[in-house]
Amino acid sequence: MASNYTHIILADDDEDDRMFFTDAFDELKIGTKVATFPDGIALMDYLNQSDAELPSILFLDLNMPRKNGKECLKEIRQNSRFNSVAVAIYSTSASEEDIEDTFVQGANVYIKKPSSFKKLKNVLSSVVATNWQYETSGLNRDNFLLRL
Amino acid sequence: MAAKFLKSAVFTKVIFVVSLFLILFIAGLGYKHMTEVSESQESVMHTYKVNVELEQILSYLKDAETGQRGFIITQDSIYLEPFFEGRGKINNTFAELKQLTKDDREQTENLRLLNELIEERLEYFQIASTYALKDQTDLLRFKKVFFEGKMTMDAIRVKLNEMILLENERLLKRKQAYESISNITPLFLFGLIVFTLLLLYLSYARISVNLDKITASNKELNVFKELTNQSEMINKHGSWRWNVNTDEFSFSDNLFRLLGEQPNSFAPTIENFMRFVHPEDVETLKDQVAQMKVDMDLPFIYYRVVHKNGTIRYLKAYGKSIMDTEGNVQLLGTTTDITDEIDSFNALQKRNKELELNNKELAAFNYVASHDLQEPLRKIQTFLSRLEDSEATSLTEKGQTYMQRINVAASRMRLLIDDLLQYSRSSKSDEDKVPSDLNELLQSALIELEEPIENNQAEIVADPLPELQVVPFQIQQLFINLIGNALKYRKEETAPVVRIQYSSVDKTDHPILSQSVAERFHKIDFKDNGIGFESEYGEKIFTLFTRLHNKDEYSGTGIGLAICRKITDNHRGHITATATPGSGAIFTIYLPE
Repeated sequence: MASNYTHIILADDDEDDRMFFTDAFDELKIGTKVATFPDGIALMDYLNQSDAELPSILFLDLNMPRKNGKECLKEIRQNSRFNSVAVAIYSTSASEEDIEDTFVQGANVYIKKPSSFKKLKNVLSSVVATNWQYETSGLNRDNFLLRL
Repeated sequence: MAAKFLKSAVFTKVIFVVSLFLILFIAGLGYKHMTEVSESQESVMHTYKVNVELEQILSYLKDAETGQRGFIITQDSIYLEPFFEGRGKINNTFAELKQLTKDDREQTENLRLLNELIEERLEYFQIASTYALKDQTDLLRFKKVFFEGKMTMDAIRVKLNEMILLENERLLKRKQAYESISNITPLFLFGLIVFTLLLLYLSYARISVNLDKITASNKELNVFKELTNQSEMINKHGSWRWNVNTDEFSFSDNLFRLLGEQPNSFAPTIENFMRFVHPEDVETLKDQVAQMKVDMDLPFIYYRVVHKNGTIRYLKAYGKSIMDTEGNVQLLGTTTDITDEIDSFNALQKRNKELELNNKELAAFNYVASHDLQEPLRKIQTFLSRLEDSEATSLTEKGQTYMQRINVAASRMRLLIDDLLQYSRSSKSDEDKVPSDLNELLQSALIELEEPIENNQAEIVADPLPELQVVPFQIQQLFINLIGNALKYRKEETAPVVRIQYSSVDKTDHPILSQSVAERFHKIDFKDNGIGFESEYGEKIFTLFTRLHNKDEYSGTGIGLAICRKITDNHRGHITATATPGSGAIFTIYLPE
């Protein structure tokens, strides 16, 4: 498996959002391979396959049917197999409660879905450009919520 | 102490006892006096009798003398008869006298001498008679005897007179002694009787006064009793007395009513009472009653009673022991029906819970609604941005205008949703209050407002503000909204100036504070030189979605000031606004000290 591209996964129940997401990466042209899943169950089924290709960055919507983002985050962080996976929360809201919870459970960054396509592209390129393995050590509560 | 004694019932009793003794004394004295009177009468009689008897003796002797003289002249023995009779009579009289004077030694002695003289005289009669019988009356010896007889007779007379005098003297002395007593005694008795009457009158007066007082008190007591009955009925009170020594109870009328019964419809005993107590409370109450008997004091106890018709009432009782003057211990108690209180308390708690739940639901709804509204809006905006980026050129001019309009409308909707979210977040409670320096919060607010302040070239002048227990982010939001408003509603030609003035005021400063619990308030004025508004809108502007201007002139959602009011309400404070069109507005916040 060549590493000339970054493997990215998005779990989001909203079809429009999945489209914006893949379109944004298509337009960015930064060598990424994007896979999407419509809910938490589908995501976890995929990740739990022993031969699954693990993503570098996992974008998690919080509000999903069947298994929501927080539950997925919890399972992922309890399993050492996924230690290399950076988790970016990708949600419409940015309530204090959600930010607090996901930070405590080990998400790497919290992204509030932007309301323009241009901004979305900026955000995604910035997240992909970040070296999360290195950033993890400097993780702190103040810059957890991504501001651009 | 003395005055108290004079007024006490003991004093009245003492007067009575003294009076009783005085009357006894008077009776004794009177009796003694009467005895003395009869004694003195007897002594008068005695003297009289003695004198009569003595006169009698003289008379008998005279008769004997006359008889003897007749016999000497006529020598006829017929004249001797009185002489012989006289002898016997004298003896009788003598015996009488002896009896009368047996206690009188002097008179007894006199009587003995008299007797000797009489014997002597009679002897001379005898001798003279013998001479007369022998007709020797001419003899010198006869004459001598006759003369001796006369002398003896004189001596008898003297003796008799002496005795009569002595007796009279005695009588006089007795009379004098008696008179001296009888002159004082009646006066003394009279005085005593008057004094006793006085004492009796005194105690009568006191008793009568006390009786009046008691009657008046009794009347008062009856009125009081009636009032107590009424008060018990209206307040759902009942009272009871428990004589611990005799184990006797008495219940007030209303206590029966508290048990759902007619007054005095059953004997007031603890057993009968326990019949009404709720089965679950009987054991506890019995223990408490037993403890009450030991402690002589009853703390507040609560229990339920069941009426005959099945109604359950909650009662609360309290009791305290008192000891009367006879040493009887009584436990006095009050029982109150607190069912209504408990019911209203429960109802209130239920309502509170409902309210709390409603509030929570409302906040949650508000939050979810605002949150869920964001998602489609964000998508509309994203699609719009994509259209603008790639498809704008292929649209007609009209189409591009429509797209701009859609964009403006979507932005406005975003603003509304953000403000609504802010509004729903403003209902946080006391838990988040921390001591905060309002100056720091103001500085943070000014940093947030940096852009509009610079754009408008505004001047902000602030007094030093106090430190206060607040929810920091809310007060900061309050400052942002108020200063932001002042900048937004500026006059076009004049650079905006906002003056923030602080003072500490009493609750009398403004009518809206009069109902507050707090006595003093921090008053912070936000004075601007903007366009102001009609004073009639001073209150209306704080209600949600109220706008005074068309949204073409001024952007805004009508939520900002509603948030301000919500924040001051959360802090138990107030916010008011006064303004005149064209010369600025003053927003005043009051926060309790």
